[in-house]
Amino acid sequence: MKKLIFVVLIGTFSFLLLGSKENKVFESTYDPGNSGDIFIEDARILTGTGKEILKGSILISSNKIKAIGENLPKPDGVLTINANGKWVTPGIIDIHSHMGVYPAPGLRSSSDGNESTSPVTAHVWAEHSVWTQDPQMPLALKGGITTFHVLPGSANLIGGRGVTLKNIWSRTVQGMKFPDAPYTLKMACGENPKRVYGGRSSEPSTRMGNVAGYRKAWIRAQGYRNKLTEYESKSEEAKELGYAPTRDLELETLVGVLNGEILIQNHCYRGEEMAVMLDIAKEFNYKVTAFHHAIEAYKVADILAENNVCAAMWADWWGFKHEAFDMVWENAAIVDQANVGTGCAIIHSDSSVGIQRLNQEAAKAMAAGNRAGFNIPPSRAIQWISANPAKALGIAERTGSLEVGKMADVVVWDGNPFSVYTKTEKVFVDGILLYDKDNPLTPKATDFELGIISSEGDRL
Amino acid sequence: MNLNKKILISLLTFLVSTFSFSEELLLKNAKIHTATDKGTLENTDILIRDGIIVRIGKKIVSSRAEERDLSGKVISPGLIAPQTQLGIVEIELIPETRDDRSDIYSAGLSIDSAFNPSSTLIPYNLTGGITLSLTTPSSPGLFSGLTSVFSLSGSLEESLVSSNIALSASISGGEDSMAAKIQLLEDSLKLSSLVESKSYFDMHHESFLPDGVTYSARDLLALKSVANKEIPLVVRANRASDILTLIDFAKRNNINLIINGAEEGWRVSRQLAEAGIPVILQPIDNIPNSFNELGSRLDNASLLHKSGVKIIIGSHETHNAYLSRQGAGIAVSYGLPWEEALKGLTKNIADVFKLSKRGSIQPGYIADIVIWTGDPLEVTSFVEQVYLSGEPMPTKNRSMRLRERYISQ
Repeated sequence: MKKLIFVVLIGTFSFLLLGSKENKVFESTYDPGNSGDIFIEDARILTGTGKEILKGSILISSNKIKAIGENLPKPDGVLTINANGKWVTPGIIDIHSHMGVYPAPGLRSSSDGNESTSPVTAHVWAEHSVWTQDPQMPLALKGGITTFHVLPGSANLIGGRGVTLKNIWSRTVQGMKFPDAPYTLKMACGENPKRVYGGRSSEPSTRMGNVAGYRKAWIRAQGYRNKLTEYESKSEEAKELGYAPTRDLELETLVGVLNGEILIQNHCYRGEEMAVMLDIAKEFNYKVTAFHHAIEAYKVADILAENNVCAAMWADWWGFKHEAFDMVWENAAIVDQANVGTGCAIIHSDSSVGIQRLNQEAAKAMAAGNRAGFNIPPSRAIQWISANPAKALGIAERTGSLEVGKMADVVVWDGNPFSVYTKTEKVFVDGILLYDKDNPLTPKATDFELGIISSEGDRL
Repeated sequence: MNLNKKILISLLTFLVSTFSFSEELLLKNAKIHTATDKGTLENTDILIRDGIIVRIGKKIVSSRAEERDLSGKVISPGLIAPQTQLGIVEIELIPETRDDRSDIYSAGLSIDSAFNPSSTLIPYNLTGGITLSLTTPSSPGLFSGLTSVFSLSGSLEESLVSSNIALSASISGGEDSMAAKIQLLEDSLKLSSLVESKSYFDMHHESFLPDGVTYSARDLLALKSVANKEIPLVVRANRASDILTLIDFAKRNNINLIINGAEEGWRVSRQLAEAGIPVILQPIDNIPNSFNELGSRLDNASLLHKSGVKIIIGSHETHNAYLSRQGAGIAVSYGLPWEEALKGLTKNIADVFKLSKRGSIQPGYIADIVIWTGDPLEVTSFVEQVYLSGEPMPTKNRSMRLRERYISQ
């Protein structure tokens, strides 16, 4: 009997250990409800796969794209939206957002994005800071954002886990979590960690201190993984006699990266630092999925393309710090066109203003590239804010382009999305119409916005 | 000087200016956004003589002008950047590259001597279409300092256009009560009007101002020029009730007021219009960043204009001051008439800050103009050439040099 209890205990413990690896805690409860059937006709479609359909239709059925193309037969008795030749794109994805963790209003009491108390905080998870009633989220929805990735800030070398959310109103963060999206891990190069910790006369205070800090963390992660592997390789009997390694939240996350389950999102401005980070990834046999804010990506665009690493960039931000001094407008275009067009360029916002118009930011970057002699059509540039961020978030099989079987994340625009004058008309998240310019009750106001200016109305 | 000599000099001056050294530039067949009530002129020419616009019309002929065909191109007045730190900030996070703050002076900080015409931000924003900057210090506290106007020519000797034309203050942010800030604004103005009188010393000695508040003579003279209506007071404020308080304050003290920010301006647009108070907007920002701007919204510019408020459009970002044009485009998409948006970037700024002969394209005006590949407010348009006082400016900046190095690899 005693032995049985022991086995049960060990079993429970192993389950917990495995459970954490399989993200069984804080599971997504996202449920958009059934969309029914919707037919969008006479649309000029940028599919997100690199194609443009000049006059096409999309059939949405039960939250998924059931059909897309020219001359689709219109099914009977289906809610039909005539786009009248207007542009339709995939739902826009922002791979770099702090909505929810740095919400508006920007108050100290809810600025929860940087656990800047230690340079390695792989144990913290951004989702545990998310305020779901951040009024920035419905503004982003109006800008066509259907999915966004929330990261911890960049004060730390290793800042913690990021989380991918669907842009839907929910009382809980679990209710927004993109189902089964892989976790990500935020790392940061350069000035920020060395400023934060160097300013306290602690390590790191230099870029070489930064690099030592990453490597020391990965060495600890390797040690922990060895301990886990050693325990797992024991016979059942031996496991009963010994103790399972104590869970370590920080190292579990780092081991998740080494095992290829957690994707590295690496804040990094300078070309030489990106090259160093890629060598560290080789040293410890993990992969950098994307460099964020990559101001100097154009200097190493071929190296990024060879290593299949994406660069997430702004169209034109610069100069706020020294490592952001060498900005060029053609950055995204050069990354995109590297190695015969095999580069992975992403336009991101890192801003609650920018996230409302990633289409315009992509437009600026596309136009700059074309002026410099590239030939980048809208059908390609739209991928910078749809398919490519989906790829770098590990959700490209599910969203990021308008293809049969994918989530019906769809935006109808009132003009060419690559224009300052264009706004969204309709935004569908999983086939659910969450923003309709003709319906003043959309997007749904957050709790914060009710009665906050006039007691009988919403914020705006 | 006798009469004959005077006549001779006048004659010589006339001859020199008319026949020998005058330079003419004729820009032909452009689409011209004048930023005047004449609006936009299709397929039109501009004749520039010695840096001044002399004629605008169809099929202008001049035997000695250098001609440039601009078919398919667009011309606008040079954009003016209101309230930036152009020329006094290089890298925001590096204090030793910043000349925009002072702990020693408050209202009296004049930044003319610190302005750096060789800042990398200057050619960068020039190639983005900005020709003039209303460079303004950003000291923390109630008063940020005095605004001066600089051209973006990059000239070491001739960049300053106009000195100390406005005083900036801010009542948003900080932890002191709004009421205290308004009281201090008022007390400071009152004290300044007495600066050179005997009663000033009496008041000063009686601690007329609260503990911890002291002004140098420079500070008080700056305040005095506001109190005397020589220059306007630009106050950063966003909350509707604060804007009303400021309107009352301006009336009571008989000063010229400009509201910067005005994110909840749409809620008090009638009162702003009645008081004739212009606003400086950053229309791209609709985030309720604090409890003082909960009513921030993208159609603010449009609603204010409809009520008759004069609109100026700026950008929060000094490095990308030229992106005020994107903000203007967004304001247009939310209902602001296109011509008004352009005036918000040009003519209205010149009018409000009394920049003589600038900000629009009309005869007699200084030829600060921009040639665009298309609609100046559209994000996919670019600047092809900027002229400052009729002189072609460099078309490159540091960023373009970097791009050329790496694109050719």
